[in-house]
Amino acid sequence: MFRIRFHGRGGQGMKTASRILGSAFFLEGYETQDAPRYGAERRGAPMFAYVRAAKTTIFERGIILRPDLVVVADESLLLLQSAGVLADLAEHSLLLISSSHSPEELQKKLGMVRPLLTLSMPVPKDIFTSHPPQSSACAAAAAQLLGLSLQSVRQALHMELSGLSDEKMAENEETANSAFLQMEPHRGRVGEQPETGSVSEDRPSWIILPFEDARISSPAIHGEATSLLMDTGSWRSLKPFIHKEQCSRCDLCHTYCPEGAISFDNDGYPCIDYKHCKGCLICLVQCPLHAIEAVQEDGSFHNNKQGDDQCDNS
Amino acid sequence: MQKTSANALIPTSHLLGSGTATCSGCGALADIRLFYEILGEKTIFVNAAGCMTLLTVYPFTPFRGSWIYTAMASAPAGAQGVRDALDLLLAKGRLGKEEDLQVVVLTGDGSAYGMGLSSTSGAMERGLDFIYICYDNEGYGNTGHQFSAATPHGASTATSRGMTGFPGYKKDLFSIWAAHNPTYLATVSGADPLDMVRKIKKAKDLRGPRMFIALAPCPTGWHFDASQTVKIGKLAVQTGIWPLKEYVNGKVEHTRIVTKKRPVDEYLKMQGRFSHLFEPRRNEKVLDEIQTRVNDYWKNVEEGE
Repeated sequence: MFRIRFHGRGGQGMKTASRILGSAFFLEGYETQDAPRYGAERRGAPMFAYVRAAKTTIFERGIILRPDLVVVADESLLLLQSAGVLADLAEHSLLLISSSHSPEELQKKLGMVRPLLTLSMPVPKDIFTSHPPQSSACAAAAAQLLGLSLQSVRQALHMELSGLSDEKMAENEETANSAFLQMEPHRGRVGEQPETGSVSEDRPSWIILPFEDARISSPAIHGEATSLLMDTGSWRSLKPFIHKEQCSRCDLCHTYCPEGAISFDNDGYPCIDYKHCKGCLICLVQCPLHAIEAVQEDGSFHNNKQGDDQCDNS
Repeated sequence: MQKTSANALIPTSHLLGSGTATCSGCGALADIRLFYEILGEKTIFVNAAGCMTLLTVYPFTPFRGSWIYTAMASAPAGAQGVRDALDLLLAKGRLGKEEDLQVVVLTGDGSAYGMGLSSTSGAMERGLDFIYICYDNEGYGNTGHQFSAATPHGASTATSRGMTGFPGYKKDLFSIWAAHNPTYLATVSGADPLDMVRKIKKAKDLRGPRMFIALAPCPTGWHFDASQTVKIGKLAVQTGIWPLKEYVNGKVEHTRIVTKKRPVDEYLKMQGRFSHLFEPRRNEKVLDEIQTRVNDYWKNVEEGE
């Protein structure tokens, strides 16, 4: 049986990727399962989707333990423990990460010895309106590693993405083709693993919680604005950067920031609280003087010194 | 200390804490942030189940004042209980006048337009002294965006797929609420903060039921990039789809009259939930119908004034 796990953020298309791969397997005569798992139903939140495929009836259910292949849509997820990208990996599990880095660079950056492959995505024409068809690329690259044919991937694309315009469909096909080709040297690298019975699985460990008095068990929060303790800055994939020399201090970025992550320095210039900025980039779109630039987030949001201290009024 | 800008259009105090679990680019969060800045921390938010219950997830809260959670249909009933308790404590002298709180109901459109309508009607009928904020993201947002009574005609939702989208029509909650003759009633949009701040300030000083319907563009449910929230909010007003109006002393007044309205296409095209009306080919019938309904609405407004 093949077990594949796709990790992404809500909105990156990893659920669709799992469906495309599932359909491609099906077209080659496999029995398949594909299902997404969300934490919160929101964009930007880590989620995963998984696929099982086998030539025989699949009795396994639930989330995948010991995946053969883990596809990651966004390298910043590896730094988020809660995303669980590295959870339950087996010795043989292969990582495929969408990244502009080479595998060696990424291993070094993440301090990881485990073998991994990287998939480079085409640069989008416009970061807001044209998202690269990541779902098609990740599904096609996975299919190559699993030894499936390009023909099945293309057919699966048409099954799962019907309703797209011809232009968008062509873009998806093109991206899938190029991702498939990129993985050519590694064709069939991921092999099938035997089905494991429930007997061989570890028994879950139980924690017994005592029944508490209602005053204890019904939650009450006595602190003010404790949400400030949450680092929602880790959600960003793009980071707004204010060029002070172009800024007229008009206040619109602060006015429209839904997070309240923009305040002012001693000279009245806006500055961004990167600990909480979720990277929606409304400020960038609304800035009349185009003084705000989107910078690719490298995941080091919590210790990024450059430019971040411009707001330090404390 | 937060520094302020000389040009600040809205308060810069950041009363509502950052770090909540709402989606990036959330239109509802922008609306509530503004409400909180104006209403202040001497408030108690009575929150029905919905996206905005994500604001407060134990042990984290963005509020500096009080907040309680109620079942989805009964936030106004909860508000009645809170108001009564406050009044009793005030009457008995156990609370000083300066300790009184503004009772604020916070619900989404699922509750306001649908299952909570009955308890809202009751609260207005009893003349309950409260503020009601409905953040309208036109669907059951936090469960995956199923259609609600606020979903516009033609929009695709998790439960209205297919080439024509949602077959129903957005309920006219404004008129339903106006029929109760509340003290104050207004539609607002976070993309027009000046209009919004003016209306909240006006309502803050009044007594009795003060009702708000706030447009809350939703990147997740409406399928657009998070950076476009304000742009879409502005287009909703510029196309005439979201009329900004208020109801005071039995009269409806439009607070923003756009003389040269943009075609509704511009608003619809930006959102994935309407993409089936444009791709693979334009659905002229549905698009015409949406435009005609908007035209008719404004024709009625002009004739009425």
